Amino acid sequence: MIDAFTDVVPSFFGMLNQGPMTLTIFLHTVIILPMFWIYKQEKAKLEGK
Amino acid sequence: MANENLSVWTSIPFWRRSAAWVTGFASILLIWLTFDTLGQISMGTDEDLKAGTIKRVPAPTVINYNIDYQMSKKRGHEVPIIGAKEPFFGKEWSVEEAAELLHLGKLTSQSKNCMNCHTLLGNGAYFAPDLTKAWLDPMWSDKGPMMPMTGKSTREEAMAEFLINPSQYPTHARMMPNLGITADEAKGLVAFLKHMSSIDTNGFPRNFSKTAEQFKLGVSHAH
Repeated sequence: MIDAFTDVVPSFFGMLNQGPMTLTIFLHTVIILPMFWIYKQEKAKLEGK
Repeated sequence: MANENLSVWTSIPFWRRSAAWVTGFASILLIWLTFDTLGQISMGTDEDLKAGTIKRVPAPTVINYNIDYQMSKKRGHEVPIIGAKEPFFGKEWSVEEAAELLHLGKLTSQSKNCMNCHTLLGNGAYFAPDLTKAWLDPMWSDKGPMMPMTGKSTREEAMAEFLINPSQYPTHARMMPNLGITADEAKGLVAFLKHMSSIDTNGFPRNFSKTAEQFKLGVSHAH
């Protein structure tokens, strides 16, 4: 999944965009994962009431 | 069904926090991407060219160098290769002269509204050929038809002559109209096009360097 870096100018976003991993998939994953945590926290709050 | 209030999906704080997270993250990301892009597209210097440092956008003095377009197996598309020095309109242009000529070319491309028909770096129309890599088009090489047609012996002179009198030369099904481009403006435009062809566009436009024969055979550069 992590290929050798081939872009002209080294960039953090370029690194996330190598091989089958696209920036879109990466960023959506990063954005969605903390929402599980927010969900669990809110659920615990509701159940605690 | 015992307690409907237990559903997180109907909880307003959940949606509020999710929205705040997504909006906040996206805002920071967009600001970061802006600065990341600025670094990638900032123009190189003459020293970079002399030292052979590869920049996505080379300095204006790149017009003093030969520019080739070669398939890079590593990157899976073609990349501009800045080669040996070659005269541009019979001379070597200094840093100031090259910048001035390129600026004139840019202003001319805007005042003559090239993008009304052509595409430059992905912006514009597809009524006329894409100009992003026009400088590298084999039709302007010594093997192509444009040098004999315009009676010129170099690529830049042939392009400039065409730009001054475009309606005289049959190039395309939809012929370019005469836009009243002066000799100086034409020089500027050719410099502008040469510089643009040296910009690393990650292989855009795709399949640019396919020849007519390759198109007929369906040959692809994509390996």
